[in-house]
Amino acid sequence: MKHPARWIALTVGAVVAALAVVLALQVGNDPRAEQNKSTLVGKRAPSFDLATVSGGKVTARGLEGKAVIVNFWNSWCIPCKQEESALKTFWSRHKDDPNVAMVGIVRDDTAGDARRYARNHGMNWTIALDPGSQAALDFATRGQPETYAISPDGLITGSQYGPVSVGNLETMLASTKSTPQ
Amino acid sequence: MSLRRWWAWLALGLVVVVAVAITVWPRGGERSDVQRARDLAAELKCPECQGLSMGDSGSTTARAARADITRRIAHGESDAQIRQAYVDRYGESILLKPEAKGIGLIVWALPVGALVAAAGGLVIALRRWRREPRLHPTDADRRLVESTRSPTDQP
Amino acid sequence: MTAPLGYLALTVGMAGAISGISILAVGLRRHDTRLLRLGRIAVFVVLGAAIAAVAVMEWALITHDFSIKYVADNNARSTPVLFTITGLWAALEGSILLWVLILAGYLTAVAVKFRARAADPLVAWATVTGFAVAAFFFALTLFAANPFTLTPGGAPVDGQGPNPLLQNHPLMAFHPPMLYLGYVGFTVPFAFAIAALVTGRFGEGWLADTRRATLVAWGFLTVGVILGAWWSYEVLGWGGYWAWDPVENASLLPWLTGTAFIHSVIVQERRGMLRVWNLSLIIATFCLTILGTFLTRSGVIDSVHAFTLSDIGPWLLTFLAVVAAVGIGLIAWRGDRLRAPGRIDSPVSRESAFLFNNLLFAGLALVVLLGTVFPLVAEALQGRRLSVGEPYFDRMTVPLGLALLFIMAAAPALPWRATSSDVLRRRLVFPAWAGGLAMLVAVVLGVRSLTMLLTFGLAAFAIGGIVRQFFIGVRARLAASGERAPGALTGMVRGNPRLYGGLVVHLGVVLIAVALAASSGYGAKREVRLRIGQSATVDGYRVTYLGSTRSVTGQKTTVKARVRIERGGDNLGTYAPAISTFPNSTEGIGTPSVHTGALRDVYLTLVSSPNQRGRVAIGVLVNPMVVWIWIGGGVMALGTLIALAPTVRARLRRDPRRGRLASDPDGGAVAAEVREVEPV
Repeated sequence: MKHPARWIALTVGAVVAALAVVLALQVGNDPRAEQNKSTLVGKRAPSFDLATVSGGKVTARGLEGKAVIVNFWNSWCIPCKQEESALKTFWSRHKDDPNVAMVGIVRDDTAGDARRYARNHGMNWTIALDPGSQAALDFATRGQPETYAISPDGLITGSQYGPVSVGNLETMLASTKSTPQ
Repeated sequence: MSLRRWWAWLALGLVVVVAVAITVWPRGGERSDVQRARDLAAELKCPECQGLSMGDSGSTTARAARADITRRIAHGESDAQIRQAYVDRYGESILLKPEAKGIGLIVWALPVGALVAAAGGLVIALRRWRREPRLHPTDADRRLVESTRSPTDQP
Repeated sequence: MTAPLGYLALTVGMAGAISGISILAVGLRRHDTRLLRLGRIAVFVVLGAAIAAVAVMEWALITHDFSIKYVADNNARSTPVLFTITGLWAALEGSILLWVLILAGYLTAVAVKFRARAADPLVAWATVTGFAVAAFFFALTLFAANPFTLTPGGAPVDGQGPNPLLQNHPLMAFHPPMLYLGYVGFTVPFAFAIAALVTGRFGEGWLADTRRATLVAWGFLTVGVILGAWWSYEVLGWGGYWAWDPVENASLLPWLTGTAFIHSVIVQERRGMLRVWNLSLIIATFCLTILGTFLTRSGVIDSVHAFTLSDIGPWLLTFLAVVAAVGIGLIAWRGDRLRAPGRIDSPVSRESAFLFNNLLFAGLALVVLLGTVFPLVAEALQGRRLSVGEPYFDRMTVPLGLALLFIMAAAPALPWRATSSDVLRRRLVFPAWAGGLAMLVAVVLGVRSLTMLLTFGLAAFAIGGIVRQFFIGVRARLAASGERAPGALTGMVRGNPRLYGGLVVHLGVVLIAVALAASSGYGAKREVRLRIGQSATVDGYRVTYLGSTRSVTGQKTTVKARVRIERGGDNLGTYAPAISTFPNSTEGIGTPSVHTGALRDVYLTLVSSPNQRGRVAIGVLVNPMVVWIWIGGGVMALGTLIALAPTVRARLRRDPRRGRLASDPDGGAVAAEVREVEPV
């Protein structure tokens, strides 16, 4: 161990070994998996004030006291079509519950296309337009479909990136009733 | 001859200093709001694209974010407040330039430290070599060099 | 039917590589020349098997044999012929097949070149190393990412077709093969470095033996990186060419260490110094090619170009660990015998400039590596998700790049060993003034960014130095021989191709540096909303929206806008930016349309399709000088080709025992490189 080359080589070896361990820990760790959780969960839901396709208005304040499912969607995205029947089933179960509301916010689409699609496909929950994409930004969306659950006291208690199932929606709804940690 | 050469270099030095001075001379007024918005957007990662900033991407979110940043600047928010607002929404991974604190310090300090240390080592070695008297190879050295250098001499 | 043939070819290839290793190992052990010659023959088995496997895959692609899963996933009946053929490298499994083919090609080239020296332990060990790498990649295709797996449930009627991003530009046909020719080519100097360490002959012999292979690999990698940037510019539609994406970084990393290597070997050739450093650099370069493949192919990092998740991650990581352990272990083992015989006499000398060049390249590599893996480290250590992107890389790499530009401009004028200030002043006064005047002109023209000012000044400095060297060389030749100027120029370059090729490469680097600085600083970016017939003016360019067409092919819906570009009344043509939506993707994929000009590109993207009133949003970017990046890449490739030409002395001697070069201190390639044209 007289020559510095040995020491340098061994130091480099130690660094490489540490790096290899770090990389090994990450193998099989899907970087996209983390995306399924929004950082907003547990935080106060952003406020919004949007026009609906039927000419009305929907605001965060107006929904206070209700459990709200917010679903970002549009007319051209295929995963949105995949989750459509789940949304319908879920809504048919809960539409008569005065304490539950569901809002579909149009993301990245023209008002006309969204309105026509919602009418033709019998989407009978509140469909709101988001022209400057401000709501999409406030909810920290990363694409569509993306779904959030808001508790009656205005906290985001659940989120899902990508199409939802009826089960997912029920879990999210249940999360609005339990106290968030 | 040599005097003329020195003049050439002095004049060149003057030209370079003047050019640099004009370039970096502080121009009155603060950065324009447009420039601030552009710089901030470039520091934020576009969440639905990969590897692009809010400034570069043409996606829905990026365009909304650019509008949002402009609006926030108009409302008088500071750069730090705007950055924090995005961190609150999307988490730390929205920042394309990790903050130089905590673990983020590694990514800034390590390359700079390593470079400075290596450059320092190199300069010290060069100075030492310069001071040392020149060594002359002995016959043993020559034999060693030959033995490692001539691969084809073996059958 | 084709799948079993593919399996057979891969199995034969793997068996060939393993038997090659065994025969050579026994031969080395027993010093049996016959076995060593026999083991070499296994290279041809490996090459034949690789060619057969690729041929089978291409056949399956061309005949749309969807019973093979890879074909069903990456080809469709409607896929054009070009993208059917390039389907070989459209996804992970096929691209490893291409890797194997290129590796087999390099190994064969080595075996043919050194056929007279097959019994030389250095060559035999290098061949063993090459076989080991080949065996690993054959194993990868057989066990981890088999391209010939059958489609579960039988052949579908039609395949899915390649990833949409990979089938809309012909550059896709060239970029990956170039990159792989570069990546894989570094296996040759790596194998010889390992052989040098094992045999204890780490003098200059292995460097002389692999000089060409290293340059070839480096040249291909350079072209591959530039083509990747070009592809990104023409296809991805955000208007830039380099986003510091992990995959881009993965291709840059070995280029950085490889560039450091091709410079620092010159010091070892001339002065016998930096032995450990050169061995480490080439081992690091090879490791970085594997690390890059791991990062991009194992799905640990999310990236635009990242291939889908696969289980080759652990394989590549294990291989990387083994390679690093072997390399580092050998250097540690040989540490005491690696002591360099030379020393550097003066801090102002060519060799010291090479040292600082290496310092900066190593620094750049560290920055890029750290920035790329840092998110993984942060997540592993603290479970935090952090990002490292363009602002970080720009801040860290620009100063290093400027320092490198300075060294590149000044170093070729420095003599070896030591110099007097008089010589320096005489050699540098013209280039330095060129730089100073360029700075002055830049300031007068309104440049107000220090980075840009320094880039332009240093670029002119470097060009001044290159011009001066060519001019003096030609003048001396004209005076000596009375040739005509063009003849004198070619004669001079042929007399010392390494020097002049290197200078041409430097010229390409200067062009790229200037283009990078100009395009990052001066551009215009606007989004305009237009109805049919309306126009807008951006930075002097008038764009007019002429209408749009909508077409549906298969699952893809494409909206194409027709946009006319005019400048000062001149019609520059009609361009067609488009946007396509695919059912499986959440975002529309834009296809930009670029008007390329010598000074400015006009880069059009379709941001949104016509709304109900027929209005579209068109992104208009005016990007200055981008075309010079591609031209600079071409110049670098040309310079590499020149540098590869045989030197006059090597041509004169044509000595079959080429290894002699190294033991001759004044010999061939080495001495020619530094012949001074000017009396010192």
